[in-house]
Amino acid sequence: MNPIELVHFAAGKALSSSAVFLFLTVLLLAASRRISNSIILFALQSAIITAQVMATAYTEKSAEAWIVALMLFTLKVVALPSALIWLVKLLKAQRAMRTSVSSAKGVFIAVLMIFLSYVAVQPYARESRVAEDTLVAAVALILTGAFLMVSHRMALMQIIGLVIEIGVFFDFLMGILIMGIFAFRIRDTFEHLDVTRLRRLRG
Amino acid sequence: MTILIYILQALMIIVGAPLLGGIVGKAKARLQRRQGASIWRPFQDIGKLFRKEDMVPPLASPVFRAAPRAVFCATAAAALLIPVLRPAALLGGSGDIILFVALLALARFFLVLGAMDGGGAFGGMGGSREVLVSALAEAPFLLGLTAISILAHSTQLAGIAEWTLRQNFFDVSAVRLLAFSTLAMVAIAETGRLPVDNPSTHLELTMIHEAMVLEHSGPSLAFLEWASSIKLGLILSLLVGLILPWGMATDSSLAAMALALAAYLAKMLTLAVVLAVVESSIAKMRMYAVPDFLGIAAATGVLAVVFTVFGGR
Repeated sequence: MNPIELVHFAAGKALSSSAVFLFLTVLLLAASRRISNSIILFALQSAIITAQVMATAYTEKSAEAWIVALMLFTLKVVALPSALIWLVKLLKAQRAMRTSVSSAKGVFIAVLMIFLSYVAVQPYARESRVAEDTLVAAVALILTGAFLMVSHRMALMQIIGLVIEIGVFFDFLMGILIMGIFAFRIRDTFEHLDVTRLRRLRG
Repeated sequence: MTILIYILQALMIIVGAPLLGGIVGKAKARLQRRQGASIWRPFQDIGKLFRKEDMVPPLASPVFRAAPRAVFCATAAAALLIPVLRPAALLGGSGDIILFVALLALARFFLVLGAMDGGGAFGGMGGSREVLVSALAEAPFLLGLTAISILAHSTQLAGIAEWTLRQNFFDVSAVRLLAFSTLAMVAIAETGRLPVDNPSTHLELTMIHEAMVLEHSGPSLAFLEWASSIKLGLILSLLVGLILPWGMATDSSLAAMALALAAYLAKMLTLAVVLAVVESSIAKMRMYAVPDFLGIAAATGVLAVVFTVFGGR
């Protein structure tokens, strides 16, 4: 097998197997109990998505996809995780995260969501050009991102849930900015980041 | 000739297992910038224990002395099921994953029985903890093995290894990846390594395995120590054989066998070093966190089994 063929083969495999690794990062995110671990997992997940886009760009020979891959890499793999780590340091947030479910239950729920996305995608998978696994991974990421947002109590984790849910589009930069400011405001007013305590605002 | 290879590969696990523990210990010592004991130290320890007197508590029944031997026999019998150099094993024709799990469970049953028969407070405590951990670990263990065996259309370990050998290495399959993560978590719990149990502690509040062997001495202790190192070698060989069998000999030629031996040793060495790094970098979890840890293993195991239906690979 010459190098060109090998690259082609690797690109094809990256497309078909990256979905599997995405599922694994989703499960690990659901099990994670440290904010720093979650940020690293998010960077890893973004790197897998970048690899997927690059593989698509290679097989489809599209220049636009290469640009998307480059933007994804700079933004989601490098810029956002480092910004989040900076935010954690600045807010002096606790390292341990409080959640409303235990990690085993969290993983079970994430597993159920992956099944749900399989069932939801099945009718459309045959007509679409994308591989079924990739489509499932997309839906599963949206669902588990939302799950991470509702199951965690700390405002920072909700930012991570949001960026996982939104995926590749770039309007989420605005969202991050606003969420970051919100996190600061919540901390300043209540001196912590526990969103459940916001219930006290009720009159 | 082939039967010789089967016996040889089983003996390799049984006799070579203490060496694995020695390598893990050495690697951990080096990571802590210590010189560490020689990698042959476990053999010397076991040899020394065999020459010592077997002390039996005055109130203990004959079970106390029989249990360590039964543990050793059951664990050694399980080694006959593992494919190592070739995708085949001595009991490969008649035994399957269920027998493998059952033999390990039998060994554990006698281990707990012997611990409780000693009459010490620690034996009972360690025994009940061991039963809790293994009861929680058995379901994900079987789920992970079942997922791969559905994929390979064979419940025999050798058959699964042979099927996996025919797959493309780069074709990462969802089921195999999930089953691997399940089995890796179960392996940690089953062999009593960190973060579930600390094999090098005698701190009364945290120990599980060490609490059970506290009353045993002399040859009985030697059998228990040997059996527990065989179990580590057994489960690591299982992971290598089921998930990463590439390099195994497909025929009985001498060159293929030598290559298979080198590949096996390299894979085991890598796993031992990975184990040492993992054990050096994480702290032991609280006893109450263990069910959560094994719950995660069960969740990935369930996902692996259901993926055999959805993904089909």
